[in-house]
Amino acid sequence: CQDSLDLSPEDNRATAGSALQDAATYEEFLAKLYAGLSLSGQQGPAGNPDLQGLDEGFSNYVRLFFNLQELTTDEALIGWNDGTVYDLHYQSWTAGNEFVRTMYSRLLYQVSLVNEFLRQTDPASLDDRGVPGELRSTIEDYRAEARFLRALSYYHALDLFGRPAFVTEQDPTGAFLPPQTSKEDLFSYIESELLAIENEIIDAKQNEYGRADRAAVWMLLSKLYLNAEVYTGNARYAEVIEYTQKTINSGYQIADVPYSYLFMADNDQNGAQNEIIFPVTYDGLNTQSYGGTTYIIHAAIGGDMDPSEFGVNGGWAGLRTTQQFVDTFPNGAESEDLRAMFFTEGQNKEVTRIAPFTEGYAVTKFTNMRSDGTPGSDPSGEFPDTDFPMFRLADAYLMYAEAVVRGGGGSPAQAATYINELRERAYGDNSGDIAAADLTLNFILAERARELYWEGHRRTDLIRFNRFSDNGIWAFKGGVPQGATTSAFRDLFPIPAAELGVNTNLTQNPGY
Amino acid sequence: TVSGTVTESGTGLPIPGVNIIVQGTSTGTTTDFDGNYTLSNLNENDVLVYSFLGFAAKEIVYAGQTRLDVQLDESEATLEEVVLIGYGSTTRQDATGAVEKISPESFNRGAVVSPETLIAGKSAGVRITPSSEPGGGGEIRIRGGSSLSGNNSPLIVVDGIPLDQRGVQGVRNQLNAINPEEIEDFVILKDAAATSIYGSRASNGVILITTKRGSLASGFNLEYDLKASVGQITDKVNVLNADQFRTLINDTQGTDPSLLGNTSTDWQDQIYRTSIGAIHNLTLSEGFENFTYRVNFNRTDQQGVLQTDLYERNAVNLVLTQNLLDNDLKLTLNAKGIVDRNRFADQGAIGAAVSFDPTQPVYDPTSPFDGFFEFRTGDTTMDEMRQATRNPVAMLQQNDNNAENLRTITNLNVDYRLPFLDGLRFNLNAGIDYSELEGEQFRPLTSAVIGEPVAFENYYWGMNRNTLLDFYFNYRTEVDAINTKLDLTAGHSFQEFYIQSQSRFTQNSELTTFPEAINRNALESYFARASFDISNRYLISASFRRDGSSRFSEENRWANFPSVSVGWKIMNEPFMQNSNTFSDLKLRAGYGVTGNQEIGPNYGYLGLYTPSQGGARVQFGYNPDGSRRFVNTIRPEEFDANLKWEELQTYNAGIDFGFFNNRFTGSVDAYYRETKDLLATVPVPAGANLSDFLTTNVGQTVSRGVEIGLNGLLVNTEDFNWSVNYNLTFQDLEITQLSLGENPDFFIPQGGISGGVGNTIQLWKEGYDPTTFFVFRQVYNEQGQPIEGAYVDVNGDNQITEADRQPYKKATPDFYMGFTNSLSYKDFDLSFTFRGNFNNYVYNNTQSSNGFVGAGTITPQPYYSNLNSNVLESNFRNNQFFSDYYIQRADFVRLDNLSLGYLIPNNRDDVAVRVSLTGTNLFVITNYEGLDPEISNGIDNNFYPRTRNVVLGLNFIF
Repeated sequence: CQDSLDLSPEDNRATAGSALQDAATYEEFLAKLYAGLSLSGQQGPAGNPDLQGLDEGFSNYVRLFFNLQELTTDEALIGWNDGTVYDLHYQSWTAGNEFVRTMYSRLLYQVSLVNEFLRQTDPASLDDRGVPGELRSTIEDYRAEARFLRALSYYHALDLFGRPAFVTEQDPTGAFLPPQTSKEDLFSYIESELLAIENEIIDAKQNEYGRADRAAVWMLLSKLYLNAEVYTGNARYAEVIEYTQKTINSGYQIADVPYSYLFMADNDQNGAQNEIIFPVTYDGLNTQSYGGTTYIIHAAIGGDMDPSEFGVNGGWAGLRTTQQFVDTFPNGAESEDLRAMFFTEGQNKEVTRIAPFTEGYAVTKFTNMRSDGTPGSDPSGEFPDTDFPMFRLADAYLMYAEAVVRGGGGSPAQAATYINELRERAYGDNSGDIAAADLTLNFILAERARELYWEGHRRTDLIRFNRFSDNGIWAFKGGVPQGATTSAFRDLFPIPAAELGVNTNLTQNPGY
Repeated sequence: TVSGTVTESGTGLPIPGVNIIVQGTSTGTTTDFDGNYTLSNLNENDVLVYSFLGFAAKEIVYAGQTRLDVQLDESEATLEEVVLIGYGSTTRQDATGAVEKISPESFNRGAVVSPETLIAGKSAGVRITPSSEPGGGGEIRIRGGSSLSGNNSPLIVVDGIPLDQRGVQGVRNQLNAINPEEIEDFVILKDAAATSIYGSRASNGVILITTKRGSLASGFNLEYDLKASVGQITDKVNVLNADQFRTLINDTQGTDPSLLGNTSTDWQDQIYRTSIGAIHNLTLSEGFENFTYRVNFNRTDQQGVLQTDLYERNAVNLVLTQNLLDNDLKLTLNAKGIVDRNRFADQGAIGAAVSFDPTQPVYDPTSPFDGFFEFRTGDTTMDEMRQATRNPVAMLQQNDNNAENLRTITNLNVDYRLPFLDGLRFNLNAGIDYSELEGEQFRPLTSAVIGEPVAFENYYWGMNRNTLLDFYFNYRTEVDAINTKLDLTAGHSFQEFYIQSQSRFTQNSELTTFPEAINRNALESYFARASFDISNRYLISASFRRDGSSRFSEENRWANFPSVSVGWKIMNEPFMQNSNTFSDLKLRAGYGVTGNQEIGPNYGYLGLYTPSQGGARVQFGYNPDGSRRFVNTIRPEEFDANLKWEELQTYNAGIDFGFFNNRFTGSVDAYYRETKDLLATVPVPAGANLSDFLTTNVGQTVSRGVEIGLNGLLVNTEDFNWSVNYNLTFQDLEITQLSLGENPDFFIPQGGISGGVGNTIQLWKEGYDPTTFFVFRQVYNEQGQPIEGAYVDVNGDNQITEADRQPYKKATPDFYMGFTNSLSYKDFDLSFTFRGNFNNYVYNNTQSSNGFVGAGTITPQPYYSNLNSNVLESNFRNNQFFSDYYIQRADFVRLDNLSLGYLIPNNRDDVAVRVSLTGTNLFVITNYEGLDPEISNGIDNNFYPRTRNVVLGLNFIF
């Protein structure tokens, strides 16, 4: 009788021992690591969630990343009544903020997934399962990508939280209390991991679309070094020049297509893929989420906008932008710069109230239309095909230019050439070109906003330029219509209160 | 020498403990547990006196028979009545645990569909919150439950089969498988001395339900019973009427009054109806010398007050008993067959009716949505505003969701008196609880709820199987040398639960089959109990159970659950013999350990891998044909290899007393309980596991309580009788330790609310009740008006932050009571039951989510939503979800039911006709501002309203 107490799953679930007998499972496990960015559970778009702390759509990685990086800045605000979401734009968040908490959970969840993958694919485990040689070399590729994904999430954790809990594949899975790391140690760890896999990961442009390659590693190194002064107090701009150069020479190109193509349903095929170094991929039928580009596209549609013109079935009427961001473009919404993609009809440019969708211009940058004018693959129009460009080459150009201006070496003339390549695409001709002498820090910050808005860079950029908290104002920063500065401690988010409670190894970031 | 069996004349059941003495001598004996006795050294014409408390004594002249079976007639008192306990039985006077038996004469009357309703308000320490859905399941809490997120429902054992505590899929209430009319009695085991024989499932108390069976040697009996009921809601949520709403929109800056309609609709009137129900019972029974049968057929139809909601039951209950081998072998077959049908209304309509714009009509001739008005962006095409509130009437009428559950609960009990040792019995119980579900749901393409170009179809099916095999030996004897009666039991049990379910529904315009889910778990148990009755005064009982559960790893799989209890029958002490006041006095005390293994996951100690379904694939490059290549994902699940049993230690002390020949009786129990290794699903430190929440052992709670139950026969005359039952319970539950760390500020948010996303209003924190609210303290102006957004700066740092949010009040009552009166005058009878909770609070979520101007006017698309009338009092512009303004006192006293019956006189002995009229939920006395103060989790959010019912009953016995 007692054997009948030894039960294991009889449906499609399996134990590690039985699941990983199958070669295909390793690829599926790797796919889960990528899905950690794009999806929120095992049943798209919702159902069987990874995290239980917040509604599935809300706890999606890209959506949370967008919220924390964009809603906190002049580039975006949202009108919904969702819990503490206003606090993000007001810069009045507390340690109890659920978006902050869930981002933290999502980041460390991604780390835990990678750790589990690395544990299950270490040589001893593979020996135990008798995994044959040819599969082993494939698994080696997977392991390098897994470590890249972990470095990416730790990079986000460093940028958002500074001193998160720290776990690696050396730690067990249980209910223990992970230790807290320091910004310096975490910086070094991310750097060492990226340098360690630099030559192990598949070469640039040689991997399957959607998976990370060597250029993605270089991109992440460039971003890490670009912000090194913020993270550790030590500037590393020379390395920015080195790794952006490697990226720029890796075979990716500024796509020779209109700027708007980069954010369309077919941005994996319309030419934009030549520029997108690391996408978070979506598909209307196969990769469905209420986060990611589903959120970014739907939430940005409201007022008099016609959802069908964006290839979707409806607007969620939430996301807009501030008048300050619109004015980053010469002539604002009427700019010659075609990157100024706003919907203005029936919208007030000035944001005087946070809730109504019509306060502030709407942003039309992301769409589920294909470049041929047809909508994406989901016939219901709910889920877009549009991939979210986590890294694209234009950012490498801009980082190179910034590192030049900040004294990291390199060539100002080369920097201007790079910037002009972006601007010529934006203006359709060379009427927007600049000279090397025009390259100032202020110009670069503004140019980054014009080129990269709503792609999850703004908060990090503003902090690096010291314009995020105690400098810089925009509508409703500080909770008032005209905007107000906040305290510098807000350059880091708080360690979530719930997390401090369960993990007594953690101490709060200063100011909270 | 003579031997025989003493039985109850009414039921034919044996009576243990009957005193038999030879009149005028000290020679005598008592019957054993099965009512058997043997008396030797008799002479002819000796007078044998059979006496037993609660029964009229009988004198019989001995005429040299070898066998003398005697039937005793029941008298008023019931002290000696047999009370089932786990794997055996005792008598009320020999029970050492907190055990209460509730029989049909005490049941709540009315058109009762769900069995638990019968005993709401009837027992101290037992709080039943009845459901309002047709055939819905009430929440049962014995001593408040002991777990946090583990299951807090008691273990329910039906005719010896423990039901699955998780319920059965596809039914509203798994107890509906038991026809309330066929219940012989409920026995509620409250403390660990009584429950720990059920070990790992007993922490939340145990309810034993016994169904009726035929009586030996009784004639053919046919009974038909009808209860016809009509029900209506008692009140509506206070919302603005069309005129008030129009005024508010006109007065609100920035709104566009042209979006309003020009009709006046009370949406709540539109979705509720007068519900009709009928319960038919037809029962046949007959008893022969060694064989009885009882067959009951039940049909129940019960509409919900919410339009389209319906419950139907067709059930057969069959009980056969057969005595063989000169009554040494008793076989009982108990078979229930139930066809349970539901049409599930879309309960989202309740919330939609509260918030739908009252200036809009129900129907719109131009509407492409089957003529139902919907907020649309255009005039002709099916372009509903995706985020607008949907027409509640359409939500109901355009949803057809039907499920049928076929179920049987069947068991065979074999009770064999072993011939080689007097007093030794073997009892074997084999049972199965098997059910199959089949359900289907449709919404037409013309429903605005669907955002897809195809109609919605949903097919779901599944199976639950619960199999049981247990056996035990029972040995009873009397050791004269130490004047002690012994009762020893030892046995083994194995129970397995198998649940399979699957569904196939429209997702992204395609009918998609989702993978089958299978869950199996098993429990194996050894148990024993020893009871001693010394000199008929001192009782000692000890039990032991060892349980193994498949839900834990081999290291943590087995656990022991002991108990010990003592009793002192003071009444039997010589010094009490002459008391004219006391007729019963007994002290009890017990200690025991129980467990809880209802933790949710079946394989929580194993790390599992789950493949992805549906649109959860990831693009890895392209196929050779150029199409995107997608790879399914596989996810490693969180697990806790060290998961172990939740353990509850209970101390209980009680006193039972009776006065004036037990015209007034009562019990008082006091308990103290500690739950250790509390199983709960809690946040784990990020990075430590493979999710943000983990089911693990997290902490401790302490609970205490006092339970008082009083019964009195106030008037006892030939024509007029009046008896009362009053019970009062004080209880207190506190979390004493939480989390893996020691941070005193640690708390776990609980109690999701409507309003925002992922918001909660309660918390678990050390030192607090688990239903404690977590709020900001509202500041009021001199007129007592809440000042919007002004809260007390509790920590004095001159800003309102999360740190100013405070634990405040709780949802569970400090004390609660039930009060039943039963009166009879000649052929009339009248009974009524009051029930009340005190010092409990409710978060009025209907007010907080719709009671501010922005809730109706700040909408993502051009439409408006109605507001709770409270907005006119609070004048809030924006949401104040976390204000204690919405924490409202919810004490109440409810007249649960009032029933008047009349036995129509006739001249025939064998025919009885009774008519009755019952009103249920007749009134509620409360200061609570919302619809109903009785909300078990304390969050009032568009719940299904309770109805007031009038029931006409007819009963024929032939």
